[in-house]
Amino acid sequence: MHSLYEIETTVKRSAKSQGLSWGVSEEIGKAIRVLEQSGLQGLESFKNIIDYGFDNLIKLIDINQKETSNLCPIHFGIFFQDQSHLKEMHQTFEFKSLQEPLISIPFLIKAAKKNLIYFHIHSDNLKISITPSEMTSIDQNKIPNLVSNFSMNVTPQRQSQYSDKTWEDLYQLSLETFVEETEEKKLSGAGAGLSDND
Amino acid sequence: MQVDLRKPEFVMKLGRLGSFHQSKLSFLRSFIREFKDWDFQTHILELDNFGFGHGVYVVQKGDKQYSLVCFSNHLNENERSDRVIATKWDASFVLYDGIPSSEDIQRLKDNVPLQEQGRVTEKELCLSRANKSVRVFEHVVDRLSQGHQPDTSLLYSVGYLYRTTAVYGSGKFGLADRIKIQDRGELKGPFRLEMMLVYLARQFTFDVVNHVAHHRSPSTAVKLSDDIARNLGIGNSTGLGMAPFIVNHPALLNQWIMAKEKALQAIRSLSSVKEKEIETFQSYLSTIQDNIKYWKTDSDYQVQKNDQLIHDLKDFQKYFDSKKIENFFWNDVYEWAEKQTEAECCEFIVSLMMEVYPHIVEPLSYEMSIDEEDYFDIDTSRNINEICQLIEKQYTWLLEVDFKEKENIYNFWYYSKNKQEPRLSDRFSEEGAELELPLAIARDIQNLYKSLKKTDPKKDLSFYLSQDQQYRHVLRRVFICEQLPYSEIQDNTISKALIPVDMLRLKLSFFGATRFDPRSDRWVRITMYQGAPLMKEISLSNDSWSYKKIA
Repeated sequence: MHSLYEIETTVKRSAKSQGLSWGVSEEIGKAIRVLEQSGLQGLESFKNIIDYGFDNLIKLIDINQKETSNLCPIHFGIFFQDQSHLKEMHQTFEFKSLQEPLISIPFLIKAAKKNLIYFHIHSDNLKISITPSEMTSIDQNKIPNLVSNFSMNVTPQRQSQYSDKTWEDLYQLSLETFVEETEEKKLSGAGAGLSDND
Repeated sequence: MQVDLRKPEFVMKLGRLGSFHQSKLSFLRSFIREFKDWDFQTHILELDNFGFGHGVYVVQKGDKQYSLVCFSNHLNENERSDRVIATKWDASFVLYDGIPSSEDIQRLKDNVPLQEQGRVTEKELCLSRANKSVRVFEHVVDRLSQGHQPDTSLLYSVGYLYRTTAVYGSGKFGLADRIKIQDRGELKGPFRLEMMLVYLARQFTFDVVNHVAHHRSPSTAVKLSDDIARNLGIGNSTGLGMAPFIVNHPALLNQWIMAKEKALQAIRSLSSVKEKEIETFQSYLSTIQDNIKYWKTDSDYQVQKNDQLIHDLKDFQKYFDSKKIENFFWNDVYEWAEKQTEAECCEFIVSLMMEVYPHIVEPLSYEMSIDEEDYFDIDTSRNINEICQLIEKQYTWLLEVDFKEKENIYNFWYYSKNKQEPRLSDRFSEEGAELELPLAIARDIQNLYKSLKKTDPKKDLSFYLSQDQQYRHVLRRVFICEQLPYSEIQDNTISKALIPVDMLRLKLSFFGATRFDPRSDRWVRITMYQGAPLMKEISLSNDSWSYKKIA
């Protein structure tokens, strides 16, 4: 097995060998390191991108870009990492296709944490939410090599993931830690004086 | 009186950085301070009559254990080379996390002597190799086998029995990643495992000569005396591989320099001084003036620096003898040294001043690491005009360099395919410049600045980066430098005038190296741990061993 250091430096150098700038190569080295450290097949995905050829991939550089087929996951990820602090980015985008979406995920996680935003990616074969929390769960078997006709909603709004009944049940349980107040306690317990108009 | 930190534009010039000396902040000294109450034992020493075989040294405290596994192999004369291009060595070492099983030792025996061509695993922490100083090794074995101690004038003119030629760590060749050990309290200083490896390897060199001498003549042989052994270190030959480290790790570089600058600032800010403190300083100054005569080198560059140091120290001694005890004594001393001596002497005085105040300096050694990931990301919400101003303020010196001039872009750094090590070559006569490493920081920041200046200054960096990613690698450095002022070397690292040995010297001084002996402008021999306590007496160390008289 190779060390994470070897994975990061090898990916960085091989990205540079394919014509990416040193700065972008540094970013992709760290992204693949994170994926491998998390038990995800980052290196395999990166190799697929190399085999596909960067010349055959489209860079995302503008939110109004017309051509969104065969998007490069590195530039897709870096674009949202760099741009997501902008309010105009907080909307739903439609894209035609993205190669190896797994590679974009570390960049989106960074953007989510830094800007306290959420990414919700939706297509027929992929549904994933990336949040600013410490915990992100990704099932590598459910991330396809290509995602087509997908939307991505970028929002600062957290979505609830539970039913009203679940909340009500838990809230009722939480009340059991409270002490019933008598009228006398209401006057003395809050620590206020007899008059708040002094 | 308010004493400021020295300015980065003064400290971060290579001429000054390349004049740094070892100090209380040096990593081999902080290693000994940290580990002096650990138990050091020779666990296995299985050598044949000629000293070939293996040894294992164990360092432990409670349930924490580290082991150095050493292999000593036969080497033909014509195979011995200090250069990184060598493929065989007299000895090879690996630092193991825990105590290795016999299966581990067999696995390591098959791989460690091969170094870069072998594979190690995440159970291993550091890897190294060393060659004998043949002249000294043979002399010592010969004398000991005949029942005599060796000629110390020969020994101390070299300073060691073996010299290492590389020490690898942090994930190289399959070694454990830094993440595995970064939360261990005893490893909270930079390069602590590398320092442990070298310290234990030094012990192995003593054990080998004693063993070989005994087997050459069992009836007459004596052991190397502790006093002589203590004054031997372990050598190191270092080439350009080390130089890019200090460019590639700006945040870490800042921590090292900042610790030193904070120590100096605190000492210069002391309003009073005690007689005893002046005596301590003087005693170290006298010892070192004696020991300098053992700093041998054939390098004209280093000879000139050493001669200047000796000359400046004489002047300094006269000044110091006549210096009255006044308020802010050390500030006066420092200011005199800065104005009246060259960088080599001035930085030497700074190291000596730090010796007098362990309570100020030693805690700073715990501030010399940093999580570099915290400084990797670029704040793309920052305004382009603001970044231009930041560059104008932090990188004033490089904006005036004419990078169309051949002299200023003369060199390029590249990665050798053969040895996977960085190299430096003439851009105009050698091939490969199109594969240049991103170490031309000054040129690239100037290009970044020019490129930003062509962009709407009201826009933010995210706009700029959506158009151009070419200078992303240096853009992140601008942010690092904003927060960490000592993170950038303020010299052109591709200029014809570059002296790469200065970059090596900077790093080696923080390691704690002494006796700098450049063999060319791009590799250097040094000594580590000369005067350090032996393994069996490490618990008695009081951290003054760097200033013991060699005699």
